[in-house]
Amino acid sequence: MDYREYLEIGYKSITQHKLRSFLTMLGVIFGVGAVIAMMSIAGGAQKAALEQIKLLGTNNIRVKQVELTGEQRDEAEFRGSMGLSLRDVNLIPQVVPGVEAVAPIKIFDVEIRHQDLKAPGRVVGTSTQYDEVVNFYPEEGRFISDLDVLEAKKVCILGVDIAKELFKLNNPIGEKVKIEENWYTVVGVMQTKAIRKDKSTVIEVRNMNRDVYIPISTMFNRLLSFEMYDNMNELAVRINNQDLVIPAAKILERMLLRTHKGIRDFEIVIPRQLLAQAQRTQQIFNVVMGAIAAISLLVGGIGIMNIMLATVTERIKEIGIRRAIGATERDIMLQFLNETVFISVSGGIIGIFMGALMAEVITRYAEWDTVISGIAIVSAFGISVLVGVVFGMYPAQKAARMDPIQALRSE
Amino acid sequence: MSHATNRECLIEAVGLERTYYRGETPVKALRGVDIQIEKGEFMAIMGPSGSGKSTMMNLLGCLDKPTAGQYRFDGVEINKLDDMELSRFRNRRVGFIFQSFNLINQLTVMENVELPLMYAGITREERRERARKLLDNVKLSHRLDHFPNELSGGENQRVAAARALVVNPDIILADEPTGNLDTKTGEEIMNLIAGLHEQGVTIVLVTHDVWVANWAERIIQMKDGKILQEFREKITADMLQL
Repeated sequence: MDYREYLEIGYKSITQHKLRSFLTMLGVIFGVGAVIAMMSIAGGAQKAALEQIKLLGTNNIRVKQVELTGEQRDEAEFRGSMGLSLRDVNLIPQVVPGVEAVAPIKIFDVEIRHQDLKAPGRVVGTSTQYDEVVNFYPEEGRFISDLDVLEAKKVCILGVDIAKELFKLNNPIGEKVKIEENWYTVVGVMQTKAIRKDKSTVIEVRNMNRDVYIPISTMFNRLLSFEMYDNMNELAVRINNQDLVIPAAKILERMLLRTHKGIRDFEIVIPRQLLAQAQRTQQIFNVVMGAIAAISLLVGGIGIMNIMLATVTERIKEIGIRRAIGATERDIMLQFLNETVFISVSGGIIGIFMGALMAEVITRYAEWDTVISGIAIVSAFGISVLVGVVFGMYPAQKAARMDPIQALRSE
Repeated sequence: MSHATNRECLIEAVGLERTYYRGETPVKALRGVDIQIEKGEFMAIMGPSGSGKSTMMNLLGCLDKPTAGQYRFDGVEINKLDDMELSRFRNRRVGFIFQSFNLINQLTVMENVELPLMYAGITREERRERARKLLDNVKLSHRLDHFPNELSGGENQRVAAARALVVNPDIILADEPTGNLDTKTGEEIMNLIAGLHEQGVTIVLVTHDVWVANWAERIIQMKDGKILQEFREKITADMLQL
């Protein structure tokens, strides 16, 4: 008897009892649905985390300024820590091994104007290397040059959103925009940076499409009062080798503690580590969902076994007849096992669709990203086959081992 | 053997015993039966319930193995076969016809007749062809796609006969084939069986109806797990020692 015959028997038996078969499948449907939903949520979160890390750069170390309060602030003033300073920027490449570039980031929220148009933006004072460090380049024109910094020129590079709002379809390069009291020549427009709108993220990333970049020296001269000179908002450090990121971060921390006179007025953020952290959180979620799926599949499997045992009892006569006309024990076993697998796989397929639907609902209402991978579908399918085999084995064996004479005699 | 014959021996049983356990108590269904059945023979087994005739039937049909004694079917020692071989043996060489037809109600007439061929591993096309031919022989060509519960008793028994014959078995074992039928239909079925016998099929039938038994060439009466007497002529009810 070839396998198609068994499949046919399985199919017939299910279609003859549609409602019962469907009820039997429910456990597997929910179990597999949970597996798919879980894996798609996990996949989405993974993707989201990776994207965010990419925004920050995997070979980067970010040093963020920490706003001090109360006693700590007095202590810092007393000891003479200057916060994140240009001195740090210059010192880092000399002290920390593997540093490719360091860019200071000083942020100043302000309105950008062009003719009678206004756009709320964020002026970012930085240096030549910023675009390389952050891996974010001008789409048109150029970035800040060494000469711009040296001579504190009034030039700026617009984020793509700001450029659109102020210049519509016109080319902004060579035009002038007004920031506070000064006019700046637009020398470049940045690329579009993908941003994430949801709040499920571990790392805060600002919308860089609203940034306006000017040389840090120009910012000091034109926008800031003298007391604000030091205290960069952030330093972005790029390391040339990803294996060096973590050791370099340790050295960087020690160096900064020294230059800041032992005051911890900064925080070191390593995107690579954040990724690992995000994955750990994800793992906990996976374990919980996995347990739910496993319990559901277990209950579903027991449900199938229960129904199959009833089916075997109900069909003793049929078993007897089949045995009398030449079915072997193995034939009978395969017949019932196949029926069980048929039920569980049908449930599994429905479950895959249900899981996909759940994922879709989650994406729509919880605004979490979900990704349904081929691996998820294949493993869900495999799991449903496994459930069928595991829980179908006992009823099938029971059917196969039945004494044909007694089976024939039963009514 | 006392009677003159040149037919080959199909079945040879010596000292056949079969003991069941009903709980702890052993039930001796057969207590030493010697029997020979020749190819092409038509034999009837009679006896009251509990005489061991059903057990005899199961053993002859290779559904069961004897507890003691020897059973040879066409030279093959049945005791030594495992489940797979025994099932194959039943499949290819034995055809059963039961009192209650024993058709599978979820399958059509056609599928029921095809079933033994499916277990024999025969292709779908050949199966269909053979089943159709057999059903044609029993005049059921118009019922192929019906289900057994849509058919009359006589029709069902003809389907069962077609199913038994579809594998070209060496022997047909009929257990009270007319038991659930009215007289007229019973006669039809007996005619069908007698016809098979004329074509050279070996037939063993179990009955306690003298009229049915008289269709056979040889009648064996069983009692308490043993063969009580054997007839080679037509019998009347008072010839049986009850």
